[in-house]
Amino acid sequence: MNAKRLLHIVLPLSGIALVGLVWLVASQSVPDLPSPLRTWEESKLYLLKPLEKRGEMDQGIVLLAYYSLVRVSKGFLLGILLGTPLGLLLGMSKTLHRMFDPIIQILRPISPLAWLPLGLVIFRKSEPAALFAIAICSMWPTVINGAAGVRAIPQDYWNVARVLRLSPFRTFTKVVIPATLPYIFTGYRLSLGIAWLVIVASEMLTGTPGVGGFLWQEYNSLIYAHILLATITIGVIGFALDRLMGMAETRLRVT
Amino acid sequence: MAFIEASAVSKSFGTGPSARHVLHDVTLEVERGEFVSIVGFMGCGKSTLLNIITGLVPADAGEVRLGGDLVRGISQGAAIVFQNYSLLPWFSALENVRLAVAAAFPAWPRGRQADHARRYLEKIGLGSALHRRPSQLSGGMRQRVAIARAFATEPTILFLDEPFGALDALTRANLQQDLAQLCSSAERQVTTIMITNSVEEALLLSDRIVPMTRAPRATLGRPVGVAMARPRTAAQLLHDEDAVRVRTHVVESLTASVHRAPRLPPLIKSEASDASDTPLIAVPDRTEA
Repeated sequence: MNAKRLLHIVLPLSGIALVGLVWLVASQSVPDLPSPLRTWEESKLYLLKPLEKRGEMDQGIVLLAYYSLVRVSKGFLLGILLGTPLGLLLGMSKTLHRMFDPIIQILRPISPLAWLPLGLVIFRKSEPAALFAIAICSMWPTVINGAAGVRAIPQDYWNVARVLRLSPFRTFTKVVIPATLPYIFTGYRLSLGIAWLVIVASEMLTGTPGVGGFLWQEYNSLIYAHILLATITIGVIGFALDRLMGMAETRLRVT
Repeated sequence: MAFIEASAVSKSFGTGPSARHVLHDVTLEVERGEFVSIVGFMGCGKSTLLNIITGLVPADAGEVRLGGDLVRGISQGAAIVFQNYSLLPWFSALENVRLAVAAAFPAWPRGRQADHARRYLEKIGLGSALHRRPSQLSGGMRQRVAIARAFATEPTILFLDEPFGALDALTRANLQQDLAQLCSSAERQVTTIMITNSVEEALLLSDRIVPMTRAPRATLGRPVGVAMARPRTAAQLLHDEDAVRVRTHVVESLTASVHRAPRLPPLIKSEASDASDTPLIAVPDRTEA
């Protein structure tokens, strides 16, 4: 039992070490790629003083991450605020589903890099354009899962609503919402993952402070170690976000 | 005119050569306050008939009238108990019943609705499981919640769709007794139609038993009245002359319909006629045969 638990810790750590080794080897053969050690040396300041603000882009990693997280939260909330009702509506009405499913399938694969210039044209400012890109890219899993969730409601539950003669409002709050909640939360989890992917692209293009903006600026200033710092930060935060949503999801599944 | 009148009801599923004609020209009359059981083989179209009478499913031909009004959807004052309980899994037993009470008596304050729901759950022996969710209850307890939910709306019409079909024999017997008691102690007169594949169950609870022939083109056989006093017990039913007479009639008309049925595999035919020699407890399930 104890050995098994140890394996749960040792195996993932070995995996990480192995990837670090590949990085080390690669850094020996690619002249511009900093080694893990050099990355640490050059990034220390950002990690050890994570809340220090030295310039617009030159800030501690926690501050940079905070800006990105705030931006992502706004875009994600906007996305699910639009996506949840849209998904439920598409799930409840066959007509609406037939009407909008094709256009959703066309809009869904469009890259954030394509939405962002459109957002800049419409809103003329980088911040709302970034939120627009995050919202519109991240809402689709919520829409699709919400619709699938409503369609997956067993006939039994609809019969209960009919037999008890529940009002449409009661049917919605007491039957449709609880029945689709697990699906919707899976949608939220996927949406948040996408929102976090989009943040980097949108910060890079708009040059706003945040992890992605920092990454792009350091590339332009030829400080390559900081690119790796930003990349790892993005990965770790994305992982943490997914885990948090996953925990919320499992809570909901226990019914 | 009878309280519930189904006249010349027909229903098919699918179209063209693959169409299944389930019900053919079914007519049923139920008087106010009567308890009528429709007994038939599994898959004979009993549930389809009940769904049409309740208004859950529209008929292809014929009509159903409830107190003289044409049925279009679930009528006010009607409650249904389904075989698979149909409880909402995200609500506790109490919340499931309270939802029904709130829909039936929207003018009541919340506290009164909750008290009312609790009273009915206690009546059927679930006073200690009020706050448990369906997943934490046994099959029998779940069906008790469903029965409490139905009675808590104080229905004038009660539809029971194989209410004990999914339960083991012992739980079944207990719950049948409790239902019999609940039916006789109801504050208002309740008209009940029950669907079942158990002749004993029908004998225990009904005023009248209607055998149903098999699908395809199922129709109703000659009804037989059960005059015994209530509440009845299973032991009493074993020897009572009237019970024996009714049982014989029902089993005979059911098995006769088997002999008449076209396109029936021979295996089932012989099994069913073997069974008619001995008193039947339950009609053999076609899917098990």
